[in-house]
Amino acid sequence: MKRRNFIQKSTATAAFLTLGGLSLESFGKSTRKHITILHTNDVHSHIQPFDVNHYKYPNLGGVARRATLVENIRKENPNTLLLDAGDIFQGTPYFNFYGGELEFKLMSMLKYDLATIGNHDFDNGINGLYAQLPHAKFNFVSANYNFKNTVLDTHVKPYKTFIKDGIKIGIFGLGIKLDGLVEKDLFKETKYLDPIEIAQDMSRILKDEEHCDLVICLSHLGYYYKSAPSKISDLNLAAKTKNIDLIIGGHTHTFLPKPTVTKNSIGENVLINQVGCYGINVGRVDFYFDSNKNIASKGKSIIV
Amino acid sequence: MKKYILFFLSIIILNSCKKETQSLVRIEGKLLPITKEIKSVQQIDSFILPYKLKVEKEMNTILSYTKKDLVRTDGILESSLGNLMADMCFERANPIFNSRTGKNIDFALFNYGGIRAGITKGDITTANAFNLMPFENSLVVVELTAKKVNELVQYLIDKHIANPISKHIKLAISDNSYDLKIKNKKLDPAKTYFVLTSNYLQKGGDQMTFFSNPVSINLLDYKVRNAIIDYFSEKDTIYSNLDNRFIQIK
Repeated sequence: MKRRNFIQKSTATAAFLTLGGLSLESFGKSTRKHITILHTNDVHSHIQPFDVNHYKYPNLGGVARRATLVENIRKENPNTLLLDAGDIFQGTPYFNFYGGELEFKLMSMLKYDLATIGNHDFDNGINGLYAQLPHAKFNFVSANYNFKNTVLDTHVKPYKTFIKDGIKIGIFGLGIKLDGLVEKDLFKETKYLDPIEIAQDMSRILKDEEHCDLVICLSHLGYYYKSAPSKISDLNLAAKTKNIDLIIGGHTHTFLPKPTVTKNSIGENVLINQVGCYGINVGRVDFYFDSNKNIASKGKSIIV
Repeated sequence: MKKYILFFLSIIILNSCKKETQSLVRIEGKLLPITKEIKSVQQIDSFILPYKLKVEKEMNTILSYTKKDLVRTDGILESSLGNLMADMCFERANPIFNSRTGKNIDFALFNYGGIRAGITKGDITTANAFNLMPFENSLVVVELTAKKVNELVQYLIDKHIANPISKHIKLAISDNSYDLKIKNKKLDPAKTYFVLTSNYLQKGGDQMTFFSNPVSINLLDYKVRNAIIDYFSEKDTIYSNLDNRFIQIK
C-alpha cells in the first residue's frame, strides 16, 4: 500500500514536470465561481405586504414583491439557492383558513430550494404539516428531529446536497426543542436530538464523505438567548462546531442588519444570518470560489 | 510496467482535474428589505387573489351584534369582555364535557393577558373573534383538588386584575379574608373541581402553576376561537355586564 502511494506521488511529480507546459495549464487557470444564497425565516403566513398604516412595518413585505427580487437575482446569477429557516406557518388568517396550503404553493412558485421545520410548523399537528407536503415542490431537512415513528418518516431528510456550477453545497437542518414549546399531541412521537452532536456529525459527513465545498446549516434554534446564555443557539452552535460556512437562523425573529462573523471550534470564521420575520427582508450571502491551485491568498475575505 | 505507469498517470491527471479543490476566497453578506419600490410579480398577485377574497369574505361575515363596546378595562376585578369570554367558553364546552364524562364543569378561568382585542359596538364579525383570540389555544377541563382551587383563588387575589372567570364563581375579598362560592356553595375540601381553561394556561402560562399535575386533564379538541365563533353565530345580540362576581370589599 505504501509502495503504491510512493508510485502515485512520484508519477504525479513526473507528470507535472513533463506536462507542465502543456495540458495542465488548461485547468490550472483561475476560474472564479459564484454561488448566491437567499434566505427567509419566520415568515409566519405573511402573504401580503403590511398595511400602509401599520404601526411598525408599514407597506413592507409581501410574497409577490419577494418573487420579483428573487427573480432578478436569479437572472443575475443562475447559481442561486433560496432557503427558509422555518416557521412558515401561523400568523395570519391564511393559515387558519387553508392550513398552510397557500404558503407552500407560493414558496413553490418562488422556486424555494429547501426549508427546515420550525416549532409553529407543528401548529396543526404533525398530521397537518404532512397533509400540506404535496403542495410543496421543495424539500425539508431536519437532522435532529427523529421522525421514525411519525407520518413524516422518510419525508424529511437530515440533509440535502446541491451542485451549482460544479460547486457542491451541503445543507442540513436543525430544529428547536419541542417539549414545553409545542404540545405533545401536536408533535407526537417526534424525537428531539442534541443539536450540537448532530451538527458535528452532519458537518463531518458533508465535508469528509460528501466532499461539499460549502456547508450550510438551516437552523430554527434561535440566534442567542440573553437570559439563558448557555441555551443552545446559533452563536453557541457556531462556537462548538467546525466546517460549517454559514448558519441561517430563525425562531428569535432577530433582525441582523448584516451577518454576524464569529469563530468556530478551531478558530475559523463562521457566518450567522437571520433576517427578522414576516417576509420583511430577504438575506443574501454571496460565496466566491477560486479554483486556482496556486492559491497565494489562502484564507478568505469576508465583506459584510 | 511503462503502460501501467502511463495508465496511472492519466488517472491522476483526470483526478486532479476533477477533484481540484474549490477554495472559498470571498464572502459577501447583505440584507435586502422588501419595500414598496419592488414591483409585485403579477402572476403571484393573481394567484393570491381568490384566497384573499375568500378570507376577506369570511372575516367580514357578520356573526352577531353588540349595543355597547365590549372591553377588558371597564371594571377592576372583572370586565364585560372577560365575563363574556369565560361564560361563552363555559356554555360551549360544558355540553361536550358532559356528553363525554357525564360530569359538569364547575367554572372557567382564563387570563387577562389572553384577551387580545376589544369589540367595538355594532356588528360582530369573524375578524373580531380572530382579533380577540389570535392563538390556536384549545379548551381543556382540568380536575383540581380543593387545595389547588385554594391556590387558584390566592392567585386571583394576588394578581388583583380582571382575569376572566365564569359566573359560577362569586369571590369577595377584603383586606385579610375572602368569601368564595362555587355554584352557590362553599368550597368542599373533600371534593375535586372541574375547571375549564386553555391548554396554554394549563401548561403554566401566566404563572398559573396550580394547573400543573392535576387529578386529571380532559382535552376537548375544541379551539378557544372556534368556541367564540360558535357562540357568536348562535346569538343575535351579545349581552355582557359586570355582575360583581369578583369584588373587593372595603
